[in-house]
Amino acid sequence: MPFRAADALLPLTPIAFEILLALLEEDLHGYAVLQQVEQRVGRTLPLRTGTLYRALARLLDTGLIEEIDAGDRAARTVKVHEDDERRRYYRVTPLGRQTAKAEALRLEDQVSAARARKLLPGGKR
Amino acid sequence: MTSGQSRMRLAARLHRVMLAAYPAAFRRRFAADIQRMFEARLAGARGRGRGAAAVFVALECADVAWGGLLERFAPVASHASPTPRKWRMSVETTMADVRFAFRLMRRSPLFTALAMGALALGIGATGAIFAAVNAVLVRPLPYARPAELVMVWSNNTNAALPRNPVSAADYVDLQTMNRSLAGLEAAQSFFAPAQFRDGAGEPLSIQTSQVTAGMFDLLGRPPVLGRLFQPDDQNVVLLSYGLWQRRFGGDRAVIGRTVDINLQPATIVGVMPADFTFPYRTMLGPSGFSRAQFADVWQPLVFQGRFYQNADGSLVRQVRGLGLVGRVKDGVTTSQASEDLSTIAASLAKAYPASNAGWDATVLPLHEQAVGTAKPALLLLLGGVSLLWLIGCANVANLLLARSVARRNEVAVRRALGATRWRLARQSIVEGLVLSAGGGIGGVLLLYAGIPALVALAPPDTPRVSSITPDLTVFVFMFLLASATGILTALLPAASAAQSDVQAGLKDAGRGTTLSPARKRVRAALVVGEIALAVLLTTGAMLLVRSFVSVMGVDPGFSVDRLLTFQINAPRLPNPAAFQEYYDRMFTALDAVPGVAATGGTTRVPLGSTNVTTQVSIEGRDIPAAQLPEVEFRRALNNYFVAMGMPMLRGRSFTREDGVLGVAQPACVINQAMQQRLFPGEDPVGRRVRVGPNPQAVWLTIVGVVGDVRHGSLEEMPKSEMYISGHLSPPSAPYIAVRSHGDPGALAEAVRRAVWSVDAQTPIYDMKTMAAMRSESVAERRFVLTLATVFGVLALFLATSGVYGVMALIVSERTPEVGVRVALGATRTDILNLVVGQSARLGLAGIGIGVAGSFVLAPLMSSQLFGVQPLDAATFAIVPVILLAAAILAAVMPARRAMQVDPVVALRNN
Repeated sequence: MPFRAADALLPLTPIAFEILLALLEEDLHGYAVLQQVEQRVGRTLPLRTGTLYRALARLLDTGLIEEIDAGDRAARTVKVHEDDERRRYYRVTPLGRQTAKAEALRLEDQVSAARARKLLPGGKR
Repeated sequence: MTSGQSRMRLAARLHRVMLAAYPAAFRRRFAADIQRMFEARLAGARGRGRGAAAVFVALECADVAWGGLLERFAPVASHASPTPRKWRMSVETTMADVRFAFRLMRRSPLFTALAMGALALGIGATGAIFAAVNAVLVRPLPYARPAELVMVWSNNTNAALPRNPVSAADYVDLQTMNRSLAGLEAAQSFFAPAQFRDGAGEPLSIQTSQVTAGMFDLLGRPPVLGRLFQPDDQNVVLLSYGLWQRRFGGDRAVIGRTVDINLQPATIVGVMPADFTFPYRTMLGPSGFSRAQFADVWQPLVFQGRFYQNADGSLVRQVRGLGLVGRVKDGVTTSQASEDLSTIAASLAKAYPASNAGWDATVLPLHEQAVGTAKPALLLLLGGVSLLWLIGCANVANLLLARSVARRNEVAVRRALGATRWRLARQSIVEGLVLSAGGGIGGVLLLYAGIPALVALAPPDTPRVSSITPDLTVFVFMFLLASATGILTALLPAASAAQSDVQAGLKDAGRGTTLSPARKRVRAALVVGEIALAVLLTTGAMLLVRSFVSVMGVDPGFSVDRLLTFQINAPRLPNPAAFQEYYDRMFTALDAVPGVAATGGTTRVPLGSTNVTTQVSIEGRDIPAAQLPEVEFRRALNNYFVAMGMPMLRGRSFTREDGVLGVAQPACVINQAMQQRLFPGEDPVGRRVRVGPNPQAVWLTIVGVVGDVRHGSLEEMPKSEMYISGHLSPPSAPYIAVRSHGDPGALAEAVRRAVWSVDAQTPIYDMKTMAAMRSESVAERRFVLTLATVFGVLALFLATSGVYGVMALIVSERTPEVGVRVALGATRTDILNLVVGQSARLGLAGIGIGVAGSFVLAPLMSSQLFGVQPLDAATFAIVPVILLAAAILAAVMPARRAMQVDPVVALRNN
């Protein structure tokens, strides 16, 4: 069942989670993913090209994202940054969406525990 | 391409290479995207500065390399084809070996420092010399397809002068009649100094080069700005990149501006690239008006004026002042082109015997013309530094061998636990590579310090010296060298580890300080080898020292002390009479300066200028024009011979009367070499000669014979020289010689004031004492000598420390034996003799091999020697003594330790 499969892939690495976050909004090609992630967390999570693509390869292999066919692109709302047909576009799969949600829930749970122990403000035992 | 762009290309190439770390499947999917993203991000990083870009490249490449390895050997998902277990194990154990090597190095810092230091020295020095060889000799010339380019000279077989410039008429004939060249262009065979005015700022002294319109097309380099010459261009000029930056600040609006060159207007049509040089100084003929290295501007060469056109408009054939550059056709070799041009030269000799009889053509590759003179010295230095590197390797090998003995029991335990021989050997090799990697890094640092020092020390005459930089080729070479060093130095310890005797090693737990006889022989052989190599280097250095002393001892034919020289540009005056008056006033002013003993002037000062030659006809001898003897031609002003300290051997020098315009019997003075060549056994005074084959030229009467001088360099034999009075034919840019009673440098200011008192605008340049000029004239010899001496000293140092290390070990091994001897009644002197004797035996063995090697190799150095034979007795006697003394010295401290051995302690520990 999909949910169980999503569970099995937790916890995600920080970079994998960030990539999924970026792709949840829209389909992007590799450079755009990098730019989004860098914008969000560039200072705390230095992003090397090789590392990014290894993470992409991981996500592809575990079925959390997929490559979009060139023909498919036109059919979806895809922001075309450059008119470059050689670029590969990536899209998050339903499994990927569920896994990202599961990871977010897991993180939320962890943060609540941290708040409860006064590590962060706003906790209630 | 700008340097920034080439750096970007380099970074992209490096990144692409690093991508190979990824497994093939991964590469197929993502390599293109990764590379593209890298290049896009690199452009962004460059915008933040060069430092940021460099950091970016380093981090990205490291990430790619590391990530690639991880993908191969520790993939998280199974999309990569599963790498064999063995591969992964291999990488892990190698990493373990590296970590172990680091631990070992940390544990014995002194050993590590010594080893890495020796390696850094060897690798760094070899890298620096290689960078010089690469930049000067190997790198192709900055032209398109440079291997196809050739230089063409005329070959004066009558006087055995194979590299003579070519005349305008001969050039045109060669160009039209050849079948082997795709193109042939001409350039003036000298740089011409000129005054440059552009309306803004001071007039500038520049060097000009005149080339035919198609020359730059032939060379195949487009301009960075504007255009090249076109066939009918006149009054235009091409700027060099350097002048464009210096004078115009790189202003791109300079195209179309008009400037003044020697008061002639010229329009700027283009700017040549920064790395473009033409002609190299080594491509110029022997004549020339200056010793400049580069052209600042180029102008189109037009065959007009009396050097190129006869009165009837035909081209001149017997005045030769052009250097020719050609490009061979596809598939044609240099020797084929040479044959072709020789055939044409032969037909010209038949058609114009008066000017061309006995003149052939010489064709050689342009690259060889440009850098051929530097080759012997550079290759000698490369050979020398390689020997130094070998000594460093031997030193470190000995160190590693000694240490491997100390670890014998560790190795034995590992063997007992099941390690294979190969595994143990591999560990030794990894250690060697780690050491040499450290040495390599130290060597790179040495390189960055050494190359500027090398360039600063190098004689300015060296072709392409300013382009000696550490570039990719040099780094690849050093990487390979460091790897080879690591493997070489680790071979013996690796073999030793692989062959270790398990039983003996285990039994000897704790001490393990004795070597097997085989390994003792190896150790001794290494030291003997080091000493032999040191003998080679020291012999070479000493031969060069003696040559240098010889050269400095040469009598130049004039008096070097208390002589000040400088060059001036005489003002532009309307006629010879005005020039005469100017020079009269100037020399009067100079003679009046207190402290001045004598003054004079010349068109060519010895050791400080080039030559101009002319053919002479001798009255009463009927010689065909093509075979007229060629002599150096000079003009003398005022009391030149007295100021220079040149003795008059016969007859008289010039007098005031000889300098009067329109004098009835114009006089000339010849030197002894010319007298012996043209008037052997006769008194030449009173004979008459004429310049050139032109029957309308005026006859000159020889009034005196002056002593010979060494003109081009101290090492050249004096050539035939003739002098005429400079007052008859006033020069425009003479050298002035001022002989002083005291220190010549102290007169500099007063002399300048005296010259300016006559004309305040006169440019004075290159003012230096003759002593300084003599020193500059031997700059190349001094350069090679300095480096060779440094190598020799380092080699001695390394070899001595190698001997010391081995002797210290030997003494500690023989401590029990020494104890026994002392107990049996040996005195301290006996022990001293024992130790020093062993060291001396090692030394003698090494010296023997080294001397034998020197016998064989020293003759290869002959081109660099002067006044001393390659098998010089004194050198071959002194060097062994030095090395023997070094070997004995190195044994002193170990010997003292041996002499202090307490027999009781020594025997107890047995």
